[in-house]
Amino acid sequence: MSDDTLLEMRQITKIYPGVVALDRVDFAIRKNEVVGLVGENGAGKSVLMKIMIGLVQPDEGTIVLRGEQTALRDPLEAIKNGIGMVFQDGSLVPNLSVAENLFLCHEAAFRKSGMLSLRAMRDTARELLTQLKLHLDVDLPVAELGPAERQMVEIARLLWLSKLYGQENPVLILDEPTTVLADSERETLFETLHELKDRASIVFISHRIQEVLENCDRIVILKDGKNVTEMPAADSRLLKVEQLMVGHSFSVDRFHQDAEWRQAEKEILRVENLSKAGLFQPLSFTVGEGEIVSLIGLVGSGKEAVCRCINGLEKADTGSIFINGRKLPSGSPGAAVKAGIGHIPIDRRSEGLALMMSVAENVNLLVLNRLKTAGFLSPVREKANAQHWISECQIKTPSISTMCANLSGGNQQKTVISKWLSSRVRLLILDHPTRGVDVGAKDEIYKLIRRLAREGIGMLIMCDTLEEDIGLANRLLVMKDGRLVKEIASPPGQKPTPQDIIGLIV
Amino acid sequence: MTEVSSKGGYLTWLRKRFPVPFAAARTWLRRFGILAQILSLAIIVAVFAIGTKGKYLSWANIQTILSLAAIPAIYAIGLHPTIILGGIDLSLQGVASLCAVFVGLLLKNQFNSNDVGLWIIPISVAIGGAAGVISGLLNTGLRIPSFIATLGMSWILYGLSVYIGKAKNVQILDERIFNAINVMVLGIPQIAILAVVITIIVQFMQNRTRFGRYMYAIGGDEVIAKQAGVKVNGIKIAVFTIAGVIYGLASLLLACRLGIATSRMGLTLLFPTITAVAVGGVALTGGIGGAKNAALGALIVTALNDGLVLMRVSPYIQQAVNGVVLIAAVALTLDRKKLGFIK
Repeated sequence: MSDDTLLEMRQITKIYPGVVALDRVDFAIRKNEVVGLVGENGAGKSVLMKIMIGLVQPDEGTIVLRGEQTALRDPLEAIKNGIGMVFQDGSLVPNLSVAENLFLCHEAAFRKSGMLSLRAMRDTARELLTQLKLHLDVDLPVAELGPAERQMVEIARLLWLSKLYGQENPVLILDEPTTVLADSERETLFETLHELKDRASIVFISHRIQEVLENCDRIVILKDGKNVTEMPAADSRLLKVEQLMVGHSFSVDRFHQDAEWRQAEKEILRVENLSKAGLFQPLSFTVGEGEIVSLIGLVGSGKEAVCRCINGLEKADTGSIFINGRKLPSGSPGAAVKAGIGHIPIDRRSEGLALMMSVAENVNLLVLNRLKTAGFLSPVREKANAQHWISECQIKTPSISTMCANLSGGNQQKTVISKWLSSRVRLLILDHPTRGVDVGAKDEIYKLIRRLAREGIGMLIMCDTLEEDIGLANRLLVMKDGRLVKEIASPPGQKPTPQDIIGLIV
Repeated sequence: MTEVSSKGGYLTWLRKRFPVPFAAARTWLRRFGILAQILSLAIIVAVFAIGTKGKYLSWANIQTILSLAAIPAIYAIGLHPTIILGGIDLSLQGVASLCAVFVGLLLKNQFNSNDVGLWIIPISVAIGGAAGVISGLLNTGLRIPSFIATLGMSWILYGLSVYIGKAKNVQILDERIFNAINVMVLGIPQIAILAVVITIIVQFMQNRTRFGRYMYAIGGDEVIAKQAGVKVNGIKIAVFTIAGVIYGLASLLLACRLGIATSRMGLTLLFPTITAVAVGGVALTGGIGGAKNAALGALIVTALNDGLVLMRVSPYIQQAVNGVVLIAAVALTLDRKKLGFIK
């Protein structure tokens, strides 16, 4: 490493139960540079950055800061060493004003005999913001600011703090700052970053490879928690970076393609000119009986909003949704469930399951009407139904009355799926069904998805990785910036590769 | 600045045409945040002034309102910081009962020979403060939600007060505090002046100290506050302690004003106090409002009730009116869109 290295992370390893988040990753930051950090969702970018600011402790590996080995225990210590991060979801207190947020917890500089000098705080706040070419009313509560202004306030706070603690050349980490910005705001952000380069180093995380190439000096690529490569931004081409990002470890039989159901004739779901202002443009598509259709796109591409409209959690502005040819009233989750639309949410612990209820109660939740005898719930029939589905879906549970909170992630997910299966669902929306599930349980969930398809259930899925999307789906719908940009057939044996698709979504 | 949306018609046009006074008014409002409360007070005064043909606006009646609003205002100032934190303190009734019993039994009375004189002030304050420390420790140390921790505390302290006070009505024979409450300074009852002084002290602490600032940060977003380095538990315990201290003072004043100390004194205090805090514009979701809001809320509720008495409205329906006011105030101040679920 050259002499101008500011911070170096060596052989960082972090293991979470069931997942190796980071596997001997190296990462270095030099003085006065912008480093682009890219990788798919779950590649380990966020964990690496959280280690850098002391929010997460590595299991192995060392951090060398300005030539000295350091252990950062918490974000406060990191900022005292001149390392700070602008989080995706922000770290400003919404009800406090801009000035109050800028100096939160470091107000000592403005104390006079135990009291805070509000005037001095306002003046300094204005001065700091002016340096970033931001003209704001510093008394405005942060809740009233737009995302671009909030980012600038956070950057100003980090710069001020590192100066306060006497750190020349601070490290600023920006975690996907551009996803929430409009085009003009994005330009402003990059201008600011280029100006800051004289007195700071910047780590820039983004899914938009193009802007990384244009604005960074160097690119570091992570995949599956490992270093892939690093290169100067000037020599790289979009395509090459994309290929390195998704890798080549694409095995054919992981997703049980031999069990893939042939394209069905009968359609279950038809979406016509559906749109929601600010989230996605009018789009139309269908899902057939037993067909698995995958929605592909970045977070914020509008795919989540499409699904929320279909299962009634959100009211669409225009367009209609048909289930088996019957029109669905818009914005009614009850009607959606009645029509046979099931939803397996990304956060099964808070949305998919009643964790403090038993496996049996969760499995039976949607079919209580059918388990009645003479108008009252029959314990015998409840038990029978639960046992049937527990064995059908191979849910590993000590008993049918075990609390769901005590099951493993994979078995919780199987419980959610069996809940919908028992309700004779027609269309199932699977939102990242294998997130946080270990490899073995993933395989069982893939098998279960294939079985659902054989029983004629239409599915709309969104997966963690492109490989999973491609491997599972009969058809791929690619979304970008709220538009349905392409529909790609994905029959067994003739699957497209992730490299074919990544260019369409970023 | 975010651009003003095209919706809003006339007001938007005005705002664009005359940006300066609008910006000034907004800054002022943000800093003081009590316009809605002052407006509703003005409406109440106007309605009753007409309804009572001016009797409501007589100096004697205004003195009555100020005098009656003072102690509820002090209670509200005690309770509201716990709501700013995003929690609540329901221990008020228990603390008030316990303090009342101690005031009765330690000041000169007909049941025993105790007479601590003005030492009762630090004693009552210390009892309240100790109760607050315990509530705070339950909330932070044992991680019991403040709602349950303080509800439990309320009944524990009330039970203690009944046990210690043996359910007696103790007449207070030391009249110094009673007299001090009712002295007029420039025509204003001294107790109202005390309430104003407490409002100013607490409000100043909220605006101009780090402790006050952190209180709001916790109410706004506890996780972010903690990440920024706020010592969340310490602040919470301190806030519950301050609440208890203020209850102790208010309870002493209330017992002395009534002239009779009984454990039942606390039993009707919680509802009017929470009503005052909510009416004053302290958001029940935390992070918004200050001592001035709590005090003003108490004044509004008192002014309303006083007017109803003058209009000879049945006292039974007055309770119902207060309930309506509480719900209406929360409906107007609570930003329910941001809450996913209403529990």
